[in-house]
Formats: sequence, C-alpha cells, structure tokens
Amino acid sequence: MENTEGSGPLRDGASSHELPPLFTYITSEGVAGFDTSSSPPGDCTVTQAAINSSNSTCINAGTPIISIPAAHSHNHAHSLSISLPSSPSALNGERIKGVVFSDKTEPKAREVCANNGEGTNASGLPPRKPAKFHSQPMHVGFESVSKFDQNLARKDRLKDNRYNSFKTWSGRLENQLSNLHGKSQDQAQISDLQDREAEILPAVHRYFDALEGPELETLKASEELVLPEDNKWPFLLRFPISSFGMCLGLSSQAMLWKTLSASPSLSFLRLSPVVNLVLWCAATALIALVAAIYSLKIIFFFEAVRREYYHPVRVNFFFAPWVACLFLAIGVPPRVSGDLHHAWWYVLMAPILCLELKIYGQWMSGGQRRLSKVANPSNHMSIVGNFVGALLGASLGIKEGPLFFFAVGLAHYVVLFVTLYQRLPTNETLPKESHPVFFLFIAVPSVACMSWAKITGTFDLGSRIAYFIAMFLYASLAVRINFFRGFRFSLAWWAYTFPMTGAAIATIRYTAEVSNALTKILSIALSTISTIAVSGLLISTVLHAFVFDDLFPNDIAIAITYKKPKSRKNKSLLNRTPSPDANDLEACASKDDAWIQR
Amino acid sequence: MAVEEAQGEKTPVHRVVPATFTPPPSSVDTVPSPAGKSSIVAIITSFHAGYFRISLSLCSQALLWKTLSSPSTDPHGLRPILRALPSFAFLLLWSLALLSLLLLSLLFVLRCLLRPQSLRGELSHPIGMNYFFAPFASSLLLLQSTPFIPANSALYRVLCCLLCFPILCLDVKIYGGWFTHGKNFLSLAANPTSQVSVIGNLVGARAAAEMGWREAGTCVFALGIAHYLVIFVTLYQRLVDGSVLPAMLRPAFFLLFAAPSMASLAWDSIAGDFDISCRMLFFLSLFLFTTLVSRPKLFKRPIRKFDIAWWAYSFPLTVLALAATEYTQKVKLWLPNVLMVVLTLISVTVTIMLLVFTAIRPNSMLPDNDLFQSPSTESRSSPSTLPL
Repeated sequence: MENTEGSGPLRDGASSHELPPLFTYITSEGVAGFDTSSSPPGDCTVTQAAINSSNSTCINAGTPIISIPAAHSHNHAHSLSISLPSSPSALNGERIKGVVFSDKTEPKAREVCANNGEGTNASGLPPRKPAKFHSQPMHVGFESVSKFDQNLARKDRLKDNRYNSFKTWSGRLENQLSNLHGKSQDQAQISDLQDREAEILPAVHRYFDALEGPELETLKASEELVLPEDNKWPFLLRFPISSFGMCLGLSSQAMLWKTLSASPSLSFLRLSPVVNLVLWCAATALIALVAAIYSLKIIFFFEAVRREYYHPVRVNFFFAPWVACLFLAIGVPPRVSGDLHHAWWYVLMAPILCLELKIYGQWMSGGQRRLSKVANPSNHMSIVGNFVGALLGASLGIKEGPLFFFAVGLAHYVVLFVTLYQRLPTNETLPKESHPVFFLFIAVPSVACMSWAKITGTFDLGSRIAYFIAMFLYASLAVRINFFRGFRFSLAWWAYTFPMTGAAIATIRYTAEVSNALTKILSIALSTISTIAVSGLLISTVLHAFVFDDLFPNDIAIAITYKKPKSRKNKSLLNRTPSPDANDLEACASKDDAWIQR
Repeated sequence: MAVEEAQGEKTPVHRVVPATFTPPPSSVDTVPSPAGKSSIVAIITSFHAGYFRISLSLCSQALLWKTLSSPSTDPHGLRPILRALPSFAFLLLWSLALLSLLLLSLLFVLRCLLRPQSLRGELSHPIGMNYFFAPFASSLLLLQSTPFIPANSALYRVLCCLLCFPILCLDVKIYGGWFTHGKNFLSLAANPTSQVSVIGNLVGARAAAEMGWREAGTCVFALGIAHYLVIFVTLYQRLVDGSVLPAMLRPAFFLLFAAPSMASLAWDSIAGDFDISCRMLFFLSLFLFTTLVSRPKLFKRPIRKFDIAWWAYSFPLTVLALAATEYTQKVKLWLPNVLMVVLTLISVTVTIMLLVFTAIRPNSMLPDNDLFQSPSTESRSSPSTLPL
C-alpha cells in the first residue's frame, strides 16, 4: 500500500527513521481498554493476511529499534497501532492515518516498516519512505488505490491534523468528543514545529503586512498560509463571522417594511403588514441558523474564532449578531408581540457594552491596536450598535440607558469620523478607490437621527442635522456609483445594505415631519433602491451557494503566518525592523518617525 | 526634529523633543543636587508645577464635601447619610486645602526667583506646561467651597476675576502655540495631561456661572470644550505610540474622565439645570472611567513606586463623584444614588490614603534634580525620574 502522495516535506532535522520520542513512549506504554479493543476475528484475519502479504518482506528486514516488552504484546489480544505520522510533519499531504487491528506480531512489523528509512532497498520499499499505515478495517482491496483515496479524502478532511491548530485546545476537544462516541481515534498529536507556529496568533501588523484590500481579505503575493491553500478546508473553518451581515441586511429590511406600512404620510401606497411579518420570520430563522453554525465554530474551532477577533476588520462583525437582534426587536410585527419587555433591552445591550469596553479601550490605550493604525470603515459597525440600542431603548420608554449609549456612541463616532477623513499615512486599510464598504459611512448619521428623535420626542434640530449629513454622504456615494464595479462578491456585502435601509427609514421619518411631494418621492426612491439591492444580493448569494459553489471560500484572512515566511524575499520598501518579533513598539515608533520626519 | 532615545527602560521609548523646545544654551545651569540630599535649597530648586496636583485634589475634595452637606432636593436620596460628616471635619479639610495651596504657591514662587530660566523651560515642556493651570483651578475650587464668602459678594467676584485672568493668558499662550508651532506639533505633544488645561478652563467657567455671569462662563466654557474636542480626538488616535508619556505618568490617564465630568458640572451651572447635555457628558465620563478600571495592566507599572504622580488619581475621582451628586439631584432613581455613594466613598478613601502615604514618606515626593533644564545637557535620564 503506497501513500497517496510522495513523502511529504520532511521538517527540519527529522528523518523518517527517527521515531519521535512520544511515539516510542506511546507504543511502549499500552493503556488497557484504550489500546485494545475487541474486534471480530474476521477483521483481524483479513487485515492480518493483507498486511502479511505486503509486509512479509518487512518482517525479515532488520531488527526493530524499539523493543516492545513481551508482556505488552502478549497481554493484548489486539493492539491498536497509534496513528502517528512517522515523520514529525503533521502538515504533509494526504497522509493516511488509521488504526490497525492486529495481533501481537503487528507492532514488530510496524516498527520494522518504520525503520525502512535505513535504506533497505531489498525490502522493496523505496528508501526513506515513511511507514505504511492502514486505515480502519476496510475490506476494499488494497490494489484499488483510487477508491481508497476517495474514501480517505473525505475522512481526512474531518480527521486531518493540519487543522488542529485551529481547533479548540488543538483538537483535543474533538478527540474527547469522538472518544465518547466510540469512534476511532487520533490520540494526542505531536505538536511539531509547524503546529506550534500555527498556534501563535499573528500580531496586528501582520494582518496589514500579509493582507490587502478594503476588507483585508486578499493575500499578498509574497505571503504564505499556515493551512494548505489547494484543499477545501472544513466547512466550519470557512464560515466567517461576516455571515452575520446577512442577518443585518434581512432584519433591517423587516424594519423598513414595518415603517413603510405604518407611516401615515405614505399610507397612499397601501402596503400590507404581511410583508413585514414574512421578512421578520425569515430574518429570525436566519439569525438562529447562522448563530447555531457559528456557535459550533466556537465550540470546535475556537482558535479560528480568536484569529477572527484579532483581525482588524472582522472584529467589528462581532457586534453584528447583537445589532441584528436589535433590528428584529425594533421591527417586530405588532401581531407577534406588543411592546417588548424592558428586560430584552438590557439583555441585548449587555454584550454590546462588554465588547465596547474592550474595543474602545484598545483604541485608546492598547499599543498595537491604536486607532490611527487600525481605523477602517468597518469600525462604523462597532459604533452603530450604540445608536440602534438607544433607538430601541427610547421606543420602549427607557429614559437614562439610551442616553448613556447615545453619548458614548457620539463621542467615539466623532473620533472615528475625523480619523477616517484624515486618511492618515499610518492608516493602510482605506481603499484608494470606491468600494461598497463606504456605504457604512451613512449608517451612523441615519440611525443617530432616528434615535435622537425618539429620545427627545420631537424631530428637532439635532435630528435634522444628523439627517442632512446622512443624505449628503449618500448623495456623494451615489454619484460615484460607476466605480462600484469589478469587485469580488463576498458575504460581507450584506452588511453594507443596512445603511441604505437605515437612510430610507430616516427619510420616511423625515417625511412624517416635512410632508411634501419631494420628500415622499425621496422616501419611495430610497426604499426601492434598498429593496432592489437586497434582492440582488439575495440572488447573488443563492447563485454562489448552489451554482458556483463558492459562497464560503477558504477563509485565508485568518490563516496567515505569525511572521513573514523566510523563503520569500522581503520586498517591503519600509523595512520595519530586522526581525518582526523585535519590539513591536519600536517598530511602530520607527515607522511613524519615518513618516513624521518626511 | 531631534529624536532622543530615553534609556533606563526595558522597552526603548522614542521621546520626540522638538528642537524648538530646548532653551538657549546660555541659560543652561545644571546644578546637580546629590541624590537623597533633602536640603531646603534642593527641595525648592526641584519644585515644579506638577506638585499642584496635591492642592487640586484637596480643593476638589473640599468642594465635594460642601456639596454633599448642602441640602438635597431628593427626599429619598442617600445624601442624608453622607451629611453625617461633621462640619468640623469639613473645616479641617478646607483649612488643609488652603494651607497646601499657600505652601505650594510659596515654594513655586521661591523656585522661580532662584531659578528664573526653569520657568521658561517648564512652559515649553509638553507635560509641564499644562500644570500651570493647576494652581488657579485649585484656588477657584477652594473659592467655590469656602464656607465664609457667599457667591454673590463683591469679594467673591474680585477674587474670581483675579484668578480667571491668568487662566485666559495661559490659554492664549498655550493654545495659540498649538496652531503656530509648526507641523505635527499637537499630534506629537498631545498627551493625557493636556486635559489639565481644559479642566482649568472649565473650572473657570463654572466659577463665573456660579457668580451669575453666564455669558463669561459660556465663553470660557466654549474655549475649553473646543480644545477638549481636539485633544480627545488626538489622544484617541495616538499617532505615535507612547512617545510622550512615560510609564510612571500613566495615572494621568485618569484625567480622561475628569474633563467630561468637569464639563458636565460647568454646563450644569451655566444652564441652571442638569439637562441632557450634562447627562451625556456625565455618561461619557462614566464610560471612560469603566474602561480605565477594567484595564488594570495599564497601571501595573506606576503602582510599584509611590510618587507625586499618584496624586493624579484623586482629582478625577472626586470630580466624577461631584458630577454623580448633581446627577442624583436631577434624576431621582435608586441606581444613581448608589453610584453617587460608591464614587464618593472611593474618592474619599483614595484621598485619605494619599495623604497618609505622603505623610509617611515625604521623601518619595522629591525628584533628584530639576529636570526642566535643557534636555540635551541632561542627556540620558531615565523616564521614571522625569518630573511629574
């Protein structure tokens, strides 16, 4: 039985004939009940016969390096061989892992095979070839390699140790869970050099070094990933947090249709509240689904979630689930519930408050993540939650809490607005050309306008100022609509539709105050635009999901290495420091000094 | 621009000292005072405006006690509990504040007489220049908390004008410098202590409004708020990380929530009512306070050694407690009352602890030598011995 690929790249200093100490430890110490299992004798003979036929030459080829205590091999009727790769590299190609039911002679045979790297060509195996491992009792003939491959490919994706560094507790949680189910197991994996590298979280400057694009999604040419680029990763690893953007888009639509059907100045349209009900139910179902999937990701791939949290753009999407729930609460159809209980507001705002304390505090005092470095348009999503919460709270009749969030949001919005307008040279994430992400600029003024109106009770001067600012920004983006082309579709685009919807809702509110033909036309036009945008996105999403099958591509943004790959030439003009793991403070300061002294 | 590297720290911090800051070489007069020698002359020559933190804290504490002991409009509020403070204790505190202010002023005047060139150096220093507002702000706070002089008497008005005038002069000098000093000045020199200048303006605004001069109060308030906005944004951007503020000065971060609280108090006096803007400023300050106390790592280094900079903790807490007190006047709910009691207790405890520490270890208040001499001549000085 050959390996499906050649021997993978052997890592530094390890040759295939040197077995890792852990391997020797494990094979020498058997654990009763774990290393043994009773298997039907039929299996044993099949595999035994198969093994013997192919390994017959191995058995005679030299003495095993590891001596198994005789007691061990005699006591265990069947011993499971540990499915450890013989070379320390866990990131090889399709390494076959499996467990073998065997009898007492097997360990010897296995060790011998592993020692084939000594160059025993006489055994018929190519020199330095890693040992053969056989999968779970498969009664497929060993000669049908391709069928074997297919079955293995699917299984491998589940048990592939390359993704262990992204799993919770490096895969040990998954092992425990599958142990509980009595499935075949991979025991504790050897964490080798590359695994350890993958476990270290990249610093924030690495995200800017390695990625580019307005959403920091595209890998630069000189960079590498810690996960294989040519395979399709497990689904949970490919499920980004920006999927909550879909929930934002849909729930804001539900809000829009509720406002449309309830607005007195637009009652001539005679819109039915059923649309709101349908959209609301769809949005609720979607949020529940996305939240369930993402919770699975948190449980099984916590390291990947952590890397998303440290990504300068993705961190803002952590507010998205709560804001989407707030939209649902605001847009709840009257048929479903009357006035919501105040407790809902506190429950929804508590996570937003905690996230804010952490993230705004980082902007102020966290060295690596200060605002002049990480500011990008997606930060608006961190701020809009304050205003949406204020809007909901004020609609429920709460007095002080909404004002608290409005004040905090306003202060930080001013800072962010100024920073983004300045386009500081230290800020590398702002796209040079237009991109849908710019629509997020409209989000905060529109929602702030509505929430201030709710807090004060009237659509007064403050609300009007905010509304006019929102309209100005909308207009300046709309005239550049020609430039919004040629971008790769991504799920995050859903998040950019809710500002359009927010602007439409603010216009409807304004129409209630200043009711003339112009404002009515404007409100209908903006609502239509937003509905069309959402429908278009919906069709795109469905197309990508079912026809092109690339709705969830490999999420490369979270798989960057923690330091620049050594093999590639360092082509950056501003060489920061000799080594990236030198003092980050110094690196930032020296680069900033270079800018200042220009 | 000259870039100096400050040694003596594990992580090298680039300290940017613009060339315009160094005093002319002829005024260099390094008088090395041997470390540990606490002669009177040494104390005087090493004095600087940062010591007025002490008077600022004590005067604001006196104002807090006075506000608490004044009658409350909320019959169910918790203020009566705090009224249990005997008036004798308040008088003692007030006298202590007055004494400290007089003593510190005297020392400062003496130092200026002995070393005139140090004054100019201090006025140009990005951290030192802001503390010039502190004596005048402390005096105004003391004036407002004084039990003898009523707010509309002639003596009150005269003193108020006398004390506001230097604040306005300092405004013109320092804020004008932000515009004219050359590019990137503010982005380099802005640091948390810059808020002391804003606080000085806001205290002046409150004093004027209490007197009945609403227009003057509004004018000074507008000045303070406009510059506060600029500083707030600049600080949040933190263009150059950690270059201006050494680790021992991190207590100055507490000033972050002192400024909005003071602004809310000032607007309360101007508008006559703790209205929506005051509440928003108070909430902002509360949020910033929560952000800072949930980041204990930031203050781990300064905590190790008792230092004059510790006095920076007390004033912001006191002002926040004051703002909470005014808030409970307006909003008669149970949560603000609890908040007020908690904040007052924290502020009183911190002030008393600081007094005790200062009394026990007065030597820790003395820096080694006057570091407002030309920085280029004192070359490698460790940031922890920087003034303030």
